[in-house]
Amino acid sequence: MSTPDPSKMKLDCPEKNECLKMLQAILDGEATADQKDHFLKHHLEECMPCYKNYHLEVAIRQLLKTKCCQDAPQQLVDDIKAKVIQNLAS
Amino acid sequence: MEDLPKQHYTEAEKQTIFHGEFMPHINSMYNFAYRLTLDSDDAKDLLQDTYLKAYRFIESFQKGTNAKAWLFRILKNSFINDYRKKSKEPSKVDYQEVESYYNSEEVDRQITPDLRVEALKDMIGDEISNALNALDVDFRTVIILCDLEGFKYEEMAKILDIPIGTVRSRLHRARNLLKEKLSEYAKQMGYKTA
Repeated sequence: MSTPDPSKMKLDCPEKNECLKMLQAILDGEATADQKDHFLKHHLEECMPCYKNYHLEVAIRQLLKTKCCQDAPQQLVDDIKAKVIQNLAS
Repeated sequence: MEDLPKQHYTEAEKQTIFHGEFMPHINSMYNFAYRLTLDSDDAKDLLQDTYLKAYRFIESFQKGTNAKAWLFRILKNSFINDYRKKSKEPSKVDYQEVESYYNSEEVDRQITPDLRVEALKDMIGDEISNALNALDVDFRTVIILCDLEGFKYEEMAKILDIPIGTVRSRLHRARNLLKEKLSEYAKQMGYKTA
């Protein structure tokens, strides 16, 4: 996706909500190649609200991944392994 | 995950599956448990119960199939059966009611938060985590499964025992709600929404 020229873009999208659903499907890896191609190569280039929405969706996902994942405490991992070994023995 | 014929494993095979296929997902599983219960002690108990259950029912797991989805489903069911009931949270609004409300087209028109990427870049603290935790647990769950864990809609449908169409619409509502929360934070941070 190239950086589009804002002066040539639509400022409003009549299909904004449908487009949002489509771009979420694309980012979720659930859209077909055709849908992806049409949306990313054509629609986004000419539609400002959808272009912004796309970048917002991407940014939120990145933020979620960097801020909302935490590892299990090592003590807990060890406890679980120990309990299962105990189970095996019994 | 489906009703596969029961497998027969030797003790050594069970160990191999447990350590080789179940344990590698422990961090994702812990995170899921923590985000569901919002309490680190409950999360520990839930995770431990889930892994012991997974071990006990290991013969319902077919080697080479999606262990992560299988484990997530057990954890989600344990949460519903054992934790949701005793949860300290006030009694929930009827979920059906919430879902039909958020499925109405009305809401789509109302929830169009004008949140900007620049505002997100300044959310370097717990804003996103708090926003996620503030969502109703069913909405929180689909975001975790999809955006944090990368499950496909079909896998999510199996983990949650809901139709794939419901996965899609619930995810869409969940993201709108998350954006709404994030715009509130953005406003508090001094970002003007257009």
